[in-house]
Amino acid sequence: MQTIYLDNAATTMPDSKATERAMEFIQDKFYNPSAIYRQGILVHTEIDKARRGMLQFLDAERTHNFIFTSCGTESNNQVFQFAVKANKNIVVNLGEHPSVYNTAKNLEQKGYEVRYAKLKSTGEVDIEHLLSLVDDKTTLVSVMHVNNETGAINDIDSIANLVKVKTKKGRCYMHVDGVQAFAKNLYNLHENIDFYTVSAHKIGGLKGVGGTFYKKNIVFAPLLVGGGQEMGLRSGTENVFGNMQFFYAASNRMANIKECWQNLLECKSYMQQHLDKDLFHILYAQNSTPYILTVSAVGLRGEVLLHMLEDEGLLCSTGSACSSNAKYKYSRIIQATELTNTDMEGVLRLSFGYKTTLEECKLATEKLNSCAKKLKAKIL
Amino acid sequence: MEKVILIRYSEIHLKGQNRKIFEKIFMQNLKLALGAIPHNLVQIKGRYLLENFDSQDSNKIVEKIKKVFGTHSISVATKVNSDIDAIFNCIQAYLKEKAIAIQTFKIQTNRADKTFPLNSMQISSTLGGMVLKNFKNLSVDVHSPDCLISIDMRENGFTLISYETIAGAGGLPVGSSGKGLLLLSGGIDSPVAGHMIAKRGMEIACIHFHSYPYTNLQARQKVEQLAQLLSTYTGKIKLYIVSVTAIQEQIHKLCPEEMMITILRRFMIGIADKLAKQIGAQTIITGENLGQVASQTIEGITSSNAVTTIPMLRPLIGFDKDEIIARARAIGSFEISILPYEDCCTVFLPRHPLIKPKLSEVERAEKKLDIEQLIQDAFESMEVVEFKL
Repeated sequence: MQTIYLDNAATTMPDSKATERAMEFIQDKFYNPSAIYRQGILVHTEIDKARRGMLQFLDAERTHNFIFTSCGTESNNQVFQFAVKANKNIVVNLGEHPSVYNTAKNLEQKGYEVRYAKLKSTGEVDIEHLLSLVDDKTTLVSVMHVNNETGAINDIDSIANLVKVKTKKGRCYMHVDGVQAFAKNLYNLHENIDFYTVSAHKIGGLKGVGGTFYKKNIVFAPLLVGGGQEMGLRSGTENVFGNMQFFYAASNRMANIKECWQNLLECKSYMQQHLDKDLFHILYAQNSTPYILTVSAVGLRGEVLLHMLEDEGLLCSTGSACSSNAKYKYSRIIQATELTNTDMEGVLRLSFGYKTTLEECKLATEKLNSCAKKLKAKIL
Repeated sequence: MEKVILIRYSEIHLKGQNRKIFEKIFMQNLKLALGAIPHNLVQIKGRYLLENFDSQDSNKIVEKIKKVFGTHSISVATKVNSDIDAIFNCIQAYLKEKAIAIQTFKIQTNRADKTFPLNSMQISSTLGGMVLKNFKNLSVDVHSPDCLISIDMRENGFTLISYETIAGAGGLPVGSSGKGLLLLSGGIDSPVAGHMIAKRGMEIACIHFHSYPYTNLQARQKVEQLAQLLSTYTGKIKLYIVSVTAIQEQIHKLCPEEMMITILRRFMIGIADKLAKQIGAQTIITGENLGQVASQTIEGITSSNAVTTIPMLRPLIGFDKDEIIARARAIGSFEISILPYEDCCTVFLPRHPLIKPKLSEVERAEKKLDIEQLIQDAFESMEVVEFKL
C-alpha cells in the first residue's frame, strides 16, 4: 500500500539531493572547523558561506546575523533566556509552539512576569489584545509566523511595527518563531524583527539542526558556553554535515518557493472543496498557509479516525487524543481558538510539504471521506 | 577469599513429601533468572550456594535473585576454610574498610560442623575478643549492633562470613501452584493482582483486550511494558492480545448504553475462558476490587462469573485503592500504569453505567448479539507476544 504522508508540519522527509551533496562533510571533509590547518579552515569557510546563504534567503544580510543551533527549541530558549529581565515583563500568546509557550511558563514559575495574548477564532493572534499587554516594561514580544496547528499566518511585520512604536521608550525585542514559515513563505525579514528562529527538518533538513537570525546591533548571549563556536553564541563543535545539509535543502526549497506555494494552494483548495461537507468542517480557512489544512470530522473522534486512516496508508495528525482527562484531551492551541467541543473532538491536521502532489491529495480526500463515513456508520 | 552468595528459601521447608518438587522448581527458576551470567549453583542443606561468579556481577545477581519468588533472603558472603585465624583475617579486612562508619558489632555463629573443637558460643566470643583487641574504637552491642557479623560454619570444612541479609520476594516458586490467565489492562490493579498470585507460585499468562483504532499503539505498548515487568518476577510470560473492537461496536449499536461495560466484561471473560481452556490455565485472575467502579459491584461480578465455569481469582477484592497503589509502587508497575494512554475509548463509556445489573436482563439484552461468532472472530484476531527475563 502506498503511504500518503500528510504530516509535514511534524517533520518532512529529508531532501535526498541535499543529503547527498552534504555527504562530503562526513567523508573527505570531516575536519574540525576550528582547526587551524588548511583542511579545517576550508570547512569553516563552507559553514560561513552557508551562513551568508541563509541570510540571503530572507534578504537579511544587511540587517541580521545567523547562527546554527541544534533545533528550533534551542533557538527559542536562547532568545527567551537572553531577553528576560527581573521587574520587567514579556508578552507571548496562547497559540505558540511548546518550545516558546513552555519556556515562557517556566520563566513565570521562576518569578518573571509573563503576559499571554489571546487568539482570534481564525487562529491568528489578537493584535489589539496583544498591544494592550505591551508597555514600557516589556522586554520581549513573541509571535509565531505560521501556526503549526491551525496554519494561521500572523502579520508579523505589522505586529513588530506596532510593538516598536509602543515601546519606543524602553528596549523591547521582537521574536518570531519562523519554524513553519521559513523556506515556505516568500518573506523578507523585517528590520523590526530582532530574532527569527528556524528548524531544518520542516523543510527537508535533518532533525537536530536549527538556527537563529538575530539583529546585528544586538549583543546576543549564548546558552551554551565553551569553545566559542558560532561567533561565541553557540559553543560545541559544529554539526557540519547537518548544517550544510540544512543550507542545501533550504536552497532547494527557495529555488521553487513560489511554485511549491502555488501547487499546495491547489492541493489545499481541492481538499477543501471535495471533502464531504456533511462529514467535515473546514477550520481556519481564512488567511492560513497552504501548507496546513485543519479540519474537524463532525461528531467523530480525531484520534480514532487518524488510526483508521493510518491503516489505509494516510498519515496525518490530530488535535485531540483519546483521553478522558481534559488536560490531555484537546490541544491547547485549538482550545484557545474557542471552537465548540464537537469540533475540537474531531480535529485532524493535514500538512503538506515540498513533496506533496495533487494526486496524493485526491487520494487522501477519498480516504478521508470513506473512513469518516465508515466510522460514523459504526458509532452514530 | 572467595565471594559466594547464599540464598535462603521461604516456606518450602513447610512442605513435607513435596519438598523435593518445590526445590527443583526453585532451582530452575533461579537458573532462569540468572540467564547468561556465569555461575555455579549448588544446593546445600536448607539453602543454595552460588559460587564461581565474577565479583563484578554480584550486585546484578542479588537484584535478579531478589525477585525470584520463593527467595526468603540473600547474603553475599566470603568463603574461607574453617579456621579461626582465617575467619578473623576475613573479618579484619572487612572492618578495616568499614571502621569509620561503625562503632558497635555483634558476632553470631551457626555451627553445622559439629566436629569443630569450639562450639558456636565459643567461636563468637573468641572472634569477638580478637576484634576488640585489634579495633580499639569498636565495642560489642548484642541488641542493635551497627555491624552484624554472621559466621556459618558448614560441614565440609569451610565457613561463610556475611554482614548483611537482603530480603527476597518471598512466596513460592513460580510453577509450583499451577497456571492462571490474568486479565491485564493498562491500569494500576491488574499487574498487582498478577504479581500477588504469581508470588503464591502460580505460572501466569496474560490476556489483553484492545479496541484499535479506538485505542492506540501507545496503550498497547504500555501493556507490553507491564507484561515485561511481570516477567522479571515470574521468569517468562506470554501475553495474548485480542481485539474487541467489533464487539464494542456491536454492543454500542445494539445494546442499552448503561449495559455496555457489563456486557463487554462478559465477553472478555468468555474469551478468557476459551483461551484458558486452550492453554491449560486452571483459573482466570482479575484485578477487580469490590465497589471500585460500576462493573465491580457484587452484581457486576455475578454477571461476569456466569459466563465461565473456571474459578476466578480476585486477589485485590478487599483492598483499598491506596493499598493497591502502594503495592504497585513496590513492584515498579505504578509509573507504567499511570502513563496517559487509555485502554478504553470514551466513545464506549456509558454516561451512567448500570451499578446493579440483573443477570436475566443482561442476558436478554445480549440476545441481539451473535455472541458465539463475535467471540470466535475476536479469538482469530489474537496475537501472542512472549516476554522472558
